[in-house]
Amino acid sequence: MAQYKRLGGIMAITLAATTGLTACGFGGSGGGEESGDGTTLDLLVPSYSDATQGLWNDVIAGFEEENPDVQVNLQVESWDNLESVIATRIQGGDAPDIYNGGPFAGFAEDELLYPVDEVTSDETYASFQPSFLDNAQVDGTTYGLPWIASSRALFVNDALLEEAGAEVPATWDELLESAKKVSELGGGVAGYGMPLGSEEAQAEAAVWLWGGGGSFGDAEAITIDTPENLEGAEFIKKMIDEGATQADAGATDRSPLFDIFVQGKIGMQIGLPPSVGQIESDNPDLEYSIHPIPTKDGEPFTLGVADHLMAFKNDGDKQEAITSFFDYLYTADVYVPWVQAEGFLPTTLSASEQLADDEALAPFLEGLPDAQFYPSTNPDWNAADSAFKALFGQLGGDKSAQDVLTEIQARVDEG
Amino acid sequence: MKDLLKALPWIGPAVALIAAVVLFPIGLMLWNSTRDITQSGLDDGGVGLANFAAVVGFQYFWPILGRTVVWVVVVVACTLFGSLALAALLNKAFPGRRLVRMAVIVPWAASVVMTTLVVHYGLEPYFGIINSFLVDIGLIDTPEGYGWTRHAGTAFAWAMAVAVFVSLPFTTYTILAGLQTVPGETVEAARIDGASGVRTYFSVVLPQLRSAVSVAVLINIINVFNSLPILRVMTGSIPGYDADTVMTMIFKYMQNQRQIDLASALSVIAFLVVIGIVAIYVRVVRPLEEV
Repeated sequence: MAQYKRLGGIMAITLAATTGLTACGFGGSGGGEESGDGTTLDLLVPSYSDATQGLWNDVIAGFEEENPDVQVNLQVESWDNLESVIATRIQGGDAPDIYNGGPFAGFAEDELLYPVDEVTSDETYASFQPSFLDNAQVDGTTYGLPWIASSRALFVNDALLEEAGAEVPATWDELLESAKKVSELGGGVAGYGMPLGSEEAQAEAAVWLWGGGGSFGDAEAITIDTPENLEGAEFIKKMIDEGATQADAGATDRSPLFDIFVQGKIGMQIGLPPSVGQIESDNPDLEYSIHPIPTKDGEPFTLGVADHLMAFKNDGDKQEAITSFFDYLYTADVYVPWVQAEGFLPTTLSASEQLADDEALAPFLEGLPDAQFYPSTNPDWNAADSAFKALFGQLGGDKSAQDVLTEIQARVDEG
Repeated sequence: MKDLLKALPWIGPAVALIAAVVLFPIGLMLWNSTRDITQSGLDDGGVGLANFAAVVGFQYFWPILGRTVVWVVVVVACTLFGSLALAALLNKAFPGRRLVRMAVIVPWAASVVMTTLVVHYGLEPYFGIINSFLVDIGLIDTPEGYGWTRHAGTAFAWAMAVAVFVSLPFTTYTILAGLQTVPGETVEAARIDGASGVRTYFSVVLPQLRSAVSVAVLINIINVFNSLPILRVMTGSIPGYDADTVMTMIFKYMQNQRQIDLASALSVIAFLVVIGIVAIYVRVVRPLEEV
């Protein structure tokens, strides 16, 4: 019996200790071993679609052919895991050499990154759209290479709007009216698809708050709790309360909701460039059109998002290899097919011109000049981003718009 | 001392294993919980107990802790009563018993995430089969169904149902094993003395199940307390903190807010809570002693 007792004790401790295992997030994966001759570059990228890994493999194969002394290791992670993987690897002293992600200001602040002009040729550096470069700077130094971009637009189900006798809206009031008309069709049809769930609440928030003249602040200060933002938040509440949206807007994630739009049960929803491809493959019969995002007074505006490549310094001995990789990557023959295959927008001037006659991308490329970006160069943006994901959906509940914004601001100020 | 040295080659591997997979992570967790770790994962030095103060001072901390207690108590209690009934049934001889016994293992053999996702999709408005069914039989009037996983209360309740479902097989089998050690003579003696079936069960069989039940409960408490995937899937899209337990909160600190230091601090608290519960339980119930 004594033995049994000890066994039980060990078992209890072991089980309890899984708490520790799950929480400490330790365990950098290997993969950084240097080959004898030449350099090895570690590449950590997110998966944009099922094709991402293949696209990168093609790029790497082409690069290694031109640069036989450099070897590239590829690691692809899902977006859900990406940020914890990078944090774990940095913590374990095993940062990748090149990383494809969203926010970079935190890394720049920790002095982990090469400034972009040190790891690209002048030509490559000059090829970026200036608006994207501005968005990739911390204190005047560019740390992120704009990689792919997306902007948003309003996807409209023409059949539903016609059936309801509603107009394509340009302003909020028109949107409310049209959406209510569509909702009244019944049968589970919703006028406007409003995804405030944790998946991408910050995007829907930006569409509304900025569309009403607000902003999330700049590189110096994150400002969420402002009268301009309140206006947008209150209109969201109005849309929900008057039944213009699908049920439970506060806890609905974007991707599953867009599936419903593709099925033809939602009148209008904000979509992305890849949404075009999704409709084409899943429900090509859907009668839809793409329009500018309705704003409070009809001013054109879109939410731009750019993902960045960044180069980690690590031991500081791979600058040359990284430079040759980036220069290869941004040549038009490599870059344009990559962006096109993923269905996003390019960040270089030459590629934009090349893609201008692509019909599906046109409405989005048109919006780029009016694009506004998240203040992602502000180190506090990460906190704001997670606060939006966690808290903004409460607008769908009993909390007042003011309380929600105050709570988000408080979270941001805590850091 | 000499004996210990002699034993070392034999117990060495086991000690090394425990040190590597149990003690080292615990040590690292304790260490991280007292550090200031940046969002990109750099260690900015020690901060003493400030992380613990931040975690406990979080305005939703106590509700989350309370919800964790509800989660553990309800799931373990329902699992236990369900398993007692199920084990009693499976202990009776009936045609096809072997098939039924095998069927009970299925939820155990299937991946928890998969089981939860199946239920989660079933509960989705518009296309979930559970929602469609409820709409078809007229229990829900909205044609797209009800957003079960969009409301804290219903999502949490469904998560508990799934947790009971996946905990049943292990518990049932533990109790079934216990039932088979109950000597037939004691039951027969009770019957000869004229005891009813119910009386026999509660006065003769159940007391002899004590050690099986108490071990099953102990393991369930730890498992259920540390369960993340079910709640993560069922309540993941709900804004705010009205459906969180300590485990999902640790995950939110780590994944969403990328505050590894706070996540570690809360893990330490969770670890202490589990140890506390287990200590009290072992003290009161003495599960590992003979009847």
